[in-house]
Amino acid sequence: MQILVVDDQELNRTMLQFMLESEGFKVSLAADGEAAIESFKEIEPDIILLDVVMPKMDGYTVAPILKKMAGDKHLPIIFITALDDQKSMLKCLEVGGDDFLAKPFDKVILSAKIKAHSRSREQSARISKQNAALIYHQNQTEREHQIVEHIFSNALKSNNYEEHIVRHHLSPASMFNGDLFLTNRSPMGGAYILLGDFTGHGLAAAVGALPTAQTFFTMTAKGLSVGDIAQEINLQLLHLLPDDMFCAACIVELSSTGKTLSLWSGGMPDSLLLSSKSGLKKRIPSQHMALGILEANEFDNDAYHLEVTPEESIILYTDGVIEASNESGDMFGQERLEACYQANPTAAIEDIIRSLKRFSGTAEQEDDVSIAQIHCLAATEVEQSNDDELANLPWQFQVEIGPEEIKSTDPVSHTLDMVSAFKGVQQHRSALFLLLAELYNNALDHGLLNLDSSTKNDTEDGFFQYYCNRQEALDNLNEGLIRIEAKFLPHEHILQFTVQDSGQGFDYQAMANLDNLNNQHGRGVSLINEICHHIEYSNGGSTVVVQYKIDQQQPTANLL
Amino acid sequence: MSLTTNLSADGKNFTIQIKGKFDFNLVQEFRNAYADIGEQTPKIVIDLRETEYMDSSALGMLLNMQKNLGTRVESIRIANCRPQIKKILQISRFDKKFDID
Repeated sequence: MQILVVDDQELNRTMLQFMLESEGFKVSLAADGEAAIESFKEIEPDIILLDVVMPKMDGYTVAPILKKMAGDKHLPIIFITALDDQKSMLKCLEVGGDDFLAKPFDKVILSAKIKAHSRSREQSARISKQNAALIYHQNQTEREHQIVEHIFSNALKSNNYEEHIVRHHLSPASMFNGDLFLTNRSPMGGAYILLGDFTGHGLAAAVGALPTAQTFFTMTAKGLSVGDIAQEINLQLLHLLPDDMFCAACIVELSSTGKTLSLWSGGMPDSLLLSSKSGLKKRIPSQHMALGILEANEFDNDAYHLEVTPEESIILYTDGVIEASNESGDMFGQERLEACYQANPTAAIEDIIRSLKRFSGTAEQEDDVSIAQIHCLAATEVEQSNDDELANLPWQFQVEIGPEEIKSTDPVSHTLDMVSAFKGVQQHRSALFLLLAELYNNALDHGLLNLDSSTKNDTEDGFFQYYCNRQEALDNLNEGLIRIEAKFLPHEHILQFTVQDSGQGFDYQAMANLDNLNNQHGRGVSLINEICHHIEYSNGGSTVVVQYKIDQQQPTANLL
Repeated sequence: MSLTTNLSADGKNFTIQIKGKFDFNLVQEFRNAYADIGEQTPKIVIDLRETEYMDSSALGMLLNMQKNLGTRVESIRIANCRPQIKKILQISRFDKKFDID
């Protein structure tokens, strides 16, 4: 404890110094107010003993200055005074004094007072230290929240939906939303929607959003079914979340035509199927437990499948909607929600939120409130992204396939992989597979195995029999060769395939003219005709050259 | 490449899902998949969401199934085709014989 004695009389200073030092306190001295102010910073006193009447600057003037210099920390000031009139004592208190010490000094009282004020000084020092720590942590937390919020908004930004199909409203009860709304387009052109509700709300509830979103976007990009997506997220959350935390969720897939809808729902309130003409048509209850509870072998990925029309829509919502309370503690409830749609079948999400707010009045929002409407409409065509430019490089390669390779490998897939490795070819894979498969199978079946396609005709058994015969012939194959040559003509944007077999050829002309819906054989040949820009048989059918045009604007245009 | 089947909980929808390549290697498996379909399963869905490739024998298998099941089922729908697969079905005029979604 450092004590500063400010007195213009040397005798007083000496006496006080002696008394205090004998009690074990450290003492500094100042002869007047100005000297006290000058030495304040250097001494950093904990308690000040201050005389009232001094030359230059008196105690009344110097006390508020010293208090101010002490900042947030409480600095006890004890006035040394012989004055005993009421007025002067009041003034001492008014300028910030905390106590008085009467002259002549009494050592016992002085020591007791210093000890009492030391305690309040120490307490204040402790509080101000704690305050500093609190402010530090508050800033730290705020900064961390900002970082997390930034990550969340970026992670969920990849949401991809069409406004005419999906409408939604989210209002979190706190900075972080424990409700989660995700959408994506499927590779088939349809729409995926996930509305989730994690246990609780705020940051703790929101952390599960990241892995869920990650899994959702990965699975939807692959075009998986809602049940499979649910299964994958369940597994992910089961591993990550603590036992008492899980995610109620509803996952919907609407096909690109808007005609069929699948829905997997676990732990959520009833989804509502609405008609824009007649209102509520059907309640679809959750069939499953929330995500993140069941082990993989207990999980049920069975989903609802509905055939829907453009007048219909599906309403998904979290329990925050129906459990929103008003001042008297009543809940909004599913009945009121349904009544909104009964009264106005074309009610928009905004109308429902307005009704909900009118109901809740001034009652505080306790849970995250989320609601989404999915209109069963056809999606607009997905623009095929075509980032890969064709390289202007002529290339070619050739594969020769003998009986060993035919039996033990999959030459079509391997050739396709090689061709697809060239830039710009990837988005033509399905058509090129079909093309290569037909050419190769024709060469093998008719060139090397001498099979007769007409056995495929008429019956299912004939079709099946053909493939049995094929397998048998294949097992006995021990000579022959198929040569596949792939070549890229950069100026014409043409992929050219030449497939040649060591066999006798076949009647390609007869085949190409067959009606492909009603005949089991020859369908392959006529498909090649449709896909290819140019086709030419030679050597009696044992050599075929086809040209496939790689159109960069519309990769599948030449299929139409 | 794999083929999985699934009967919906209400028993009304029977789904055959084909992953990867839909080609002649599936001839027998595909035929077995619908062989036991009883009277209680009015709707068949061929789910091609994970089908990347198909060849002419796949088209043959689909036509055979339609012939075989005939009027025993309410509908056969080819669902969730990727754009490239849909184009192949369209050039084969399959949209005239099947409900393609």
